[in-house]
Amino acid sequence: MNDDEALMLAIQGGDSKAYESAVRQHIKALSHYAYRMLGNSKDTEDITQEALLRLWTHANSWRADKASVSTWLHRITHNLCIDYLRKDKSNVTGELNDEHESKDRPASVPEQNERLDALKNALELLPERQRSAIILSHYQGFSNKEIAQVMDISVDALESILARARRGLRAQLSDLQAS
Amino acid sequence: MTALERFEQLMAIHGSDIDRWPIDEQLPARQLLSESVTAQALHNDQLALDALLDAIPVPTMTAMEKRIIRNVSAETRSSLLDKVIDWIVPRGGSLSTWAWRPALVACLPLVCGIYMADFYSFGIESTENSWQEELYLISMNDYAEFSE
Repeated sequence: MNDDEALMLAIQGGDSKAYESAVRQHIKALSHYAYRMLGNSKDTEDITQEALLRLWTHANSWRADKASVSTWLHRITHNLCIDYLRKDKSNVTGELNDEHESKDRPASVPEQNERLDALKNALELLPERQRSAIILSHYQGFSNKEIAQVMDISVDALESILARARRGLRAQLSDLQAS
Repeated sequence: MTALERFEQLMAIHGSDIDRWPIDEQLPARQLLSESVTAQALHNDQLALDALLDAIPVPTMTAMEKRIIRNVSAETRSSLLDKVIDWIVPRGGSLSTWAWRPALVACLPLVCGIYMADFYSFGIESTENSWQEELYLISMNDYAEFSE
């Protein structure tokens, strides 16, 4: 029995300490994923909390032979984010571009800042599936097989999505450099 | 598909870090990268993109994480209470299961009462007192017999 199985078995048995330990283990990755998908803190908090609650209430639906706990939790978070984005796109705010973050950047590299802003905008404008694939691949460090599990698509479909996303972002950056 | 096209495709799928590419593609990719200027330019573009992606910040969310941990932990505590209630009055199960558990819980005050009464010896403070009282009662009996 691996660590995931032991932990989930304890949670399924109602062990609240095991649950708390799992929450502490996964909260950062899930909240960062949700933030990068939604772009604002308030919705990130709601989605992350709901995903972690489901770890407690839906623990019995986890299957060791299908996915790791991390992949399973990312899948829950992913579905919640997609539902949220489809329900009310107007709520997605560009907090990533907020003033408080701009202040942290070095003023000596305006060109770099301009490119960073352009990339953020380009990321926000990507279709949901492309954005999700890039975030899971680049930031969350999942393999393509794991990302396909999170997004519930085939590995071939995922690779096509990833290629389109990276080519699109590269093209936008090249355009910016040329102009 | 030419080697260069394949190189570009793999980079679009897996990113700039060749270590994350499929094992059998890594050696030819590195070879092409060392020889082809076009491959190097493509790789540099992807490196620049990856570096910019790394530079996009995520704010520190420590307070939010603490709030979430507090909220979800509270949820498990109330669920535990639900579990106790579920055990006492099961939602499913046989009639006997449904009957004996509430009966057991209802008997608890009686068991507690018996235990407490036994512990406090029904108001008799000590064994010594009870012996004294008993002797006193015997002596009263004897006195009554003599007086008759």
